[in-house]
Amino acid sequence: MNWLRSTILAGLLVCLASGSWAACAYENTTTVKSLSAGFEAWKVATDAMAECGNFEAELDQEFRLKQPDAFAADPSLYQIGGVSNSTMVPLLNAKTIRPIDDLIAKHGQHLTPNQLISIDGQTWAVAMMVNAQHLMYRSDILGDLGIDPPETYEDVLAASAKIAEAGVVEYPLGGTWKPGFNIGIEFVNMYLGNGGDFFNDDLTPAINNETGVAVLELMGALKQYMDPEILVSDSTYVQQQFQQGKIAMANLWASRAGAMNVEAESMVVGKVVMASAPRGSVRPSSTLWWDGVVFAANMSDEEAEAAFQVAMEGLDSEMVSANNDLAVWLVDGYKPGALAAGAAATAANGAVPYPASQQMGIMLNVLGSGVPAYVTGDKDAATTLSDIENEYLIKAKEAGLID
Amino acid sequence: MKFRTFAAFVGPSMFLMLLFIAAPLISVFSQSFYVDQSVFETVEVEVCTPGFLTQTCEIEQRTQPLLDEDGKQIVNTEFVGWTSYRNVLRLGDAWEALSDLNWSSFQQIEFWKALRFTLTFTLITLPLAIGLGLLLAITVNNVTKALKGQIIFISLLPFIITPVIGALSIRWLFIGDGIMTAFLEWWLQRDIAMFAQAWTIELLMLFYRVWHVGPFAFVVFYAGLQTVNNDTLESAIIDGASRFERLRYVIIPHLMPLIVFVALIHLMDTYRVFEEIVGFSSQAHVISLQWLTYDFLTPDEAGNRSVSRASASAMLTMVGIVILLIPLLRKTWNDHRRAH
Amino acid sequence: MSVPKALQTPLSLRLSSSAFIVIWCLIAAFPIFWIAVMSIKVPIDAFAPNPVNVVFGPKTIADGKGLSIPDIVIGVLALYFFARFCMRNLPQLVSRHSPLGLVALGWLAAALLTGLAFALIFVIVLPAVMQVINGVLGSFGNPVLGFTAEHYQAVWVDNKFYRNFINSLIVTTGVVTVSLTVGTLAGYGLARSGSNVAFWILIGALIFRSLPHSVLVAGYLPVFINSAEILKPILGENAPTLYGQPLAVIAVLVSINQPFTIWMLRSFFHNIPADLDEAARVDGCTHFQAFRWVIMPVMWPGVITTGLFSFLLAYNDFLVTSLLLDAQNQTMVPAIAGYFNRETTTTDQVEAVAAAVSITAPLFLLVMVFQRQIVSGLTAGAVKG
Repeated sequence: MNWLRSTILAGLLVCLASGSWAACAYENTTTVKSLSAGFEAWKVATDAMAECGNFEAELDQEFRLKQPDAFAADPSLYQIGGVSNSTMVPLLNAKTIRPIDDLIAKHGQHLTPNQLISIDGQTWAVAMMVNAQHLMYRSDILGDLGIDPPETYEDVLAASAKIAEAGVVEYPLGGTWKPGFNIGIEFVNMYLGNGGDFFNDDLTPAINNETGVAVLELMGALKQYMDPEILVSDSTYVQQQFQQGKIAMANLWASRAGAMNVEAESMVVGKVVMASAPRGSVRPSSTLWWDGVVFAANMSDEEAEAAFQVAMEGLDSEMVSANNDLAVWLVDGYKPGALAAGAAATAANGAVPYPASQQMGIMLNVLGSGVPAYVTGDKDAATTLSDIENEYLIKAKEAGLID
Repeated sequence: MKFRTFAAFVGPSMFLMLLFIAAPLISVFSQSFYVDQSVFETVEVEVCTPGFLTQTCEIEQRTQPLLDEDGKQIVNTEFVGWTSYRNVLRLGDAWEALSDLNWSSFQQIEFWKALRFTLTFTLITLPLAIGLGLLLAITVNNVTKALKGQIIFISLLPFIITPVIGALSIRWLFIGDGIMTAFLEWWLQRDIAMFAQAWTIELLMLFYRVWHVGPFAFVVFYAGLQTVNNDTLESAIIDGASRFERLRYVIIPHLMPLIVFVALIHLMDTYRVFEEIVGFSSQAHVISLQWLTYDFLTPDEAGNRSVSRASASAMLTMVGIVILLIPLLRKTWNDHRRAH
Repeated sequence: MSVPKALQTPLSLRLSSSAFIVIWCLIAAFPIFWIAVMSIKVPIDAFAPNPVNVVFGPKTIADGKGLSIPDIVIGVLALYFFARFCMRNLPQLVSRHSPLGLVALGWLAAALLTGLAFALIFVIVLPAVMQVINGVLGSFGNPVLGFTAEHYQAVWVDNKFYRNFINSLIVTTGVVTVSLTVGTLAGYGLARSGSNVAFWILIGALIFRSLPHSVLVAGYLPVFINSAEILKPILGENAPTLYGQPLAVIAVLVSINQPFTIWMLRSFFHNIPADLDEAARVDGCTHFQAFRWVIMPVMWPGVITTGLFSFLLAYNDFLVTSLLLDAQNQTMVPAIAGYFNRETTTTDQVEAVAAAVSITAPLFLLVMVFQRQIVSGLTAGAVKG
């Protein structure tokens, strides 16, 4: 019954923690609200913003549905928005977020240029972290079997074959192949890695080609080394498989790296190494993403100033050094460790930023729902790709992108 | 009852239903015939985004919507007639696949795939849920009084539990090396992956749905059994009716209105099956009609949604339910006419 | 006393029916039992591939968190008596002590008190007592079953889940009250009017009920977010933004549930003889007076049952609450879904399981207390097709 004691202790800690909330340099008097996704990095960032007072954070898994309407309302329901490179597109297109060059000049001199997202000379967002999918592998298993760290997908396949033969883990490979965003991104990564183009000049789709077929065939080859339930596995599932020692390799998000070394959850502490994403014929099969803050257009300049100041307080070095391994931060004060090595190597090898745009949103969506049919074996590669293109055409016409 | 008094009684309820259901219904109906399109232009701009260590700046062709003087997106609402319905139904492709007798390519068309699952799911769970409910009601009714309360309590659990949580709890039992899968593997001495193919997932979904709604049927039927006329039963016994005959000729007819009621509710709810698809993440293998609608409505990363097709698919779902309900509705109409 | 031969149950039938009941009870309770077991283990045990490890939790015990045999025995006994009290004595106590016509309030107070008592006994009193007893017993008092409340503590204290609980309470109370008030009136009106209009209203309600909710809700969202602008011409400067307001969600849930409510209540009122209120009308009462003084006193069984269904709908709703409420007013179910959909760690997941069990606990209490009312309400004719 030790937990009684720990309950009381925890209670005391909570009191202490709330007593020390003056970590913010000033007291905010304007009401500021934010709407963002709900993952860990946003949680710690918004907690740090809340230290300034008068701040309410909404960490919502439905933020994509709510953000465009909420920011279009006049006055905007939220002052700060948390976005990634792709979820910024609808806000930017509707111009419901404001350029922030003047605010940066006033309150953001400490920001590095690498944190600023600018289009045509105007700055629209401040990034706090980057993220990319890259290879993680069990160094102990690969070492025991005398396998060199894989650099290309051919290497990955060869290594998987050896691991499967040795039978040391349940499945050699893991993957985020859940239909929708997850598997869509996998296709995008490999397709870009092989130097493919998604669109023709008139925005009609251009994926039904040799590169597309090659990517699907690669996925088919990878599948034989994966869990048969691969089509329900998302990042959390793969992370858990790693932690329980069920898989030896996977292409997984950099923000998941920290979880491998959490003692309370993981049985493979210190055994997972972060490496560059496997190289395609042109560049690494991965895309670079960022997450950051934007500010509503429909609010007074005073509110904007207050919101910007609050956001800067949240994204400061103090918050980052307290949560160093939670993400690959862009904020000053971040010390990249071994866990960030994979993201760093992926970027150094020439991975491109995710090509976020209106048409890419549609493309990712139709890929996410179309590719699984090939993986299950319901369709062959050419049919899969041409069906995806047809679905894209319908959606793009509905949106008004093509005639 | 005078019409004015009647109106006063049903007024508040009607008002709520008209405002929150009928009005959206009308707007959904009209939206299914229109599409909202933005007008796009392509401009060449310099875009700078964060890299890992350095900023990357590129000249890029950016597609962006045109804005009017007020800074709002220019949106053209265009009447498209039945186009959205056509895009959902894809009758041409469906007909082609059917006339080739090619069932699998017919099942690659999302709407028909969803319809196939929704219909089989509805029609298979209906007798199972009602059967389970009946069987439970009759057995529990004969249990000694001391245990009745506890058994009813346990039986009601699957019905009251929050559906999202119920589905997840069953999912955990079977996903990966969940303990039920481990148990089945040990029992059948073979490798089993319940989430790897369509039919096992469907089986799990059927199981979950019957587990979830069986108790509702049970409690309704159980209540009905409390009002069985004992005189009728006794005279049946005196006439030498066997146990089965008593069930067939006295109890079932007595419960018939309740069976119709449960069937009605069940058909409507099951035809809108949705939680199972999300809870068991079965999108790769099976989808349902409401999930299809939901999928059209969910914006992609760049905020595009197919509102028009979602509306069309919602209207089609409604039409489907009404068709399923026609026999039951006719019965209600006849009862109504006879009663007055 | 001899039972007629025809009524005696043959042994084979008795055996097979008891086997059926036992198997059904296992199937019905097992998933819920299992998530309860998972919620009291550290993450490695909770998601262990070997079920024995999940049940006994070796890692949890190794961390010094566990229950000894006396803990288990006394805990189970306490649970049993608590459940017995809820099922047998509580309903009587409430009906004896609550003021006439305010039974609902009495129930609300009783439910809150029971919940409090439960927390007091099982979180504070028992642990303290057991610590002493285990100390006295020596090695017999060593833990054998992994048990940790850390996830519950994380959920309720660190993540402030009680806020979501209060929000759920507000929304459900609102939905049940409004739904029943509006629904009884309509149900009574429909039952007593034989007109074709009444029939078509009922059919219309059925069709309304068949509309997929995801469409309805997605339709509300933009209107609710912009309601301040839309309503300005009518309400002036004070026009509210409906998005995020519990009241707006209550209205939506009540409307969505209206078709079911009026069908249930209509058939219930059908079974109350019309002579009753006609006699009152002959004595000079209006329809409303007859409803108030003759029907209301006898309608409670049906209303309680219908109310329970409304309660379940509001309490369990996910689609409406997750889209139309903001973080400050979020209810429990979307809060849990938030745990899962977020980039979760395994610890987060076990916490979500603990939250899931926390959500289920009030439902448990509810059914324990109301079980008889559900059956008797249904028996009294709340469903007649």
